[in-house]
Amino acid sequence: MSAFHFDSLVWHWPIAIYLFLAGISAGAMFFAILLKYACLKQTAHESKFILAACIIAPISVFLGLGILVVDLTKPLDFWKILVFYNPRSVMSVGVIILMIYQVFMFAWIAAVYAKPIQTWLGLRFTPINKLLTWLAQQHASITGLLLILSLSLGAYTGFLLSALPGYPMLNNPVLPLLFLISGLTSGAAGALLLGVLLKGQPDSKEVKFIHKIEIPLILVELSIIFTFFMGLVLSGGQKQVAAATAIGAGFWGWVFWLGIIGVGLSVPLA
Amino acid sequence: MQTSKRHFLKCTGTLLAGVAAYRLAYATAHPEAKPDAAKQYILIHDQTQCIGCDACAIACRQTNQVPAEVSRLTIVRHGPYGEYPNQQYHFERQSCQQCENAPCVMVCPTGAAYRDPQTGIIKVDDWKCVGCQYCIAACPYQVRFINPVTRAADKCDFCAETKLKQGELPACVQACPTQALQFGDSLDKDAQVRKTLNSAAVIRDNESLGTRPKVFIIADAKGEVTI
Repeated sequence: MSAFHFDSLVWHWPIAIYLFLAGISAGAMFFAILLKYACLKQTAHESKFILAACIIAPISVFLGLGILVVDLTKPLDFWKILVFYNPRSVMSVGVIILMIYQVFMFAWIAAVYAKPIQTWLGLRFTPINKLLTWLAQQHASITGLLLILSLSLGAYTGFLLSALPGYPMLNNPVLPLLFLISGLTSGAAGALLLGVLLKGQPDSKEVKFIHKIEIPLILVELSIIFTFFMGLVLSGGQKQVAAATAIGAGFWGWVFWLGIIGVGLSVPLA
Repeated sequence: MQTSKRHFLKCTGTLLAGVAAYRLAYATAHPEAKPDAAKQYILIHDQTQCIGCDACAIACRQTNQVPAEVSRLTIVRHGPYGEYPNQQYHFERQSCQQCENAPCVMVCPTGAAYRDPQTGIIKVDDWKCVGCQYCIAACPYQVRFINPVTRAADKCDFCAETKLKQGELPACVQACPTQALQFGDSLDKDAQVRKTLNSAAVIRDNESLGTRPKVFIIADAKGEVTI
């Protein structure tokens, strides 16, 4: 028994990284959509922060799925998960969401950068040019669906874990909401960080816009964490024990108070 | 009539969410429709008769070719209870509970974990299993494992592929020297297991989870409550 190895542990740390990456991808896409729709409109393709989000979203979701496949005991059989479906399984529904999400993610990115790509291609590859024009025309529908899909992806990772009756802490109705908000804020942070690294202006209207949504989201996240642990404590029994292990004295208590509440949520607010 | 794109998407989304919620609620309320269920196999572990000799676990390993590092069936010893010289152990059988509402079947993304409608036994389709281990995490009884030979999830299936196929009782039931294990079809009115269910004070593990296990326990009189 130690903080990283215990009897009931089935999914090891790579799965935690996958859940984090899926959340980041969903969050980055969510903020890219809001940035374009409510702030930048037609000039979106010039923004470093949209570019950052469009780099982070595909890379993190691919990396996450890669980890997921390698973590199977039969990695070469992963295609069976794409062929056989069980509508009652959260994982199966998640696979469907992930597949459709990726299609619409690339469609959205292509539609945003349709003009620059077409200029760069010139008169070569007419089918691609036609496809880009068509995607740009369908931009409104793609945006709407991708917004729903990114929210679904962010929440799905939470449902994946809350469907486990044997884990008193995870089998909790607040968990998907917590995962969603946490993924959105992580995606926003990722897009901001990479945007600045790509020489985007830290005091630009994009940054102000993202902060205007992100800061209230962090406050909501804090209140959801409070609700989450209050729910565990008030449920009593094993749920109370799980809450004490997570936030009481001990290794994970330190990680929670210093890492999550301190560095993760309070410092960005300050 | 005016139907904007937004309106259409809104209505479709609501409809889809409604259908999904209805299907889920229906599936949960009616675990398995079983008009064609020929049998419902159950097992009763009489803890008052069990002496913890492990003969069942050894027979299980031999019959089902279970590799040494994993096990389908383990007997856990609790105790000793009471004052010397009147001390007693209490033996608990850990194996698949063959839940009617099985969490493993619910979460399996490919349908590799399934409930055989003919016998009520929870089985694993080795070929369909990709080894995501979601079932292992979902099982509240922690009795599933990855078989190191097949790389698929594995667990007790009441010897469905070995002894039951030959028309025999499961290996553990045959091996038990004290008749602490009873096996049979609970839909058969004359079956001994049914008489036991109706006459003894049987319990099931973690009943509050709503899994409806098909492994029943006659609890040992020597308790383990610490005051």
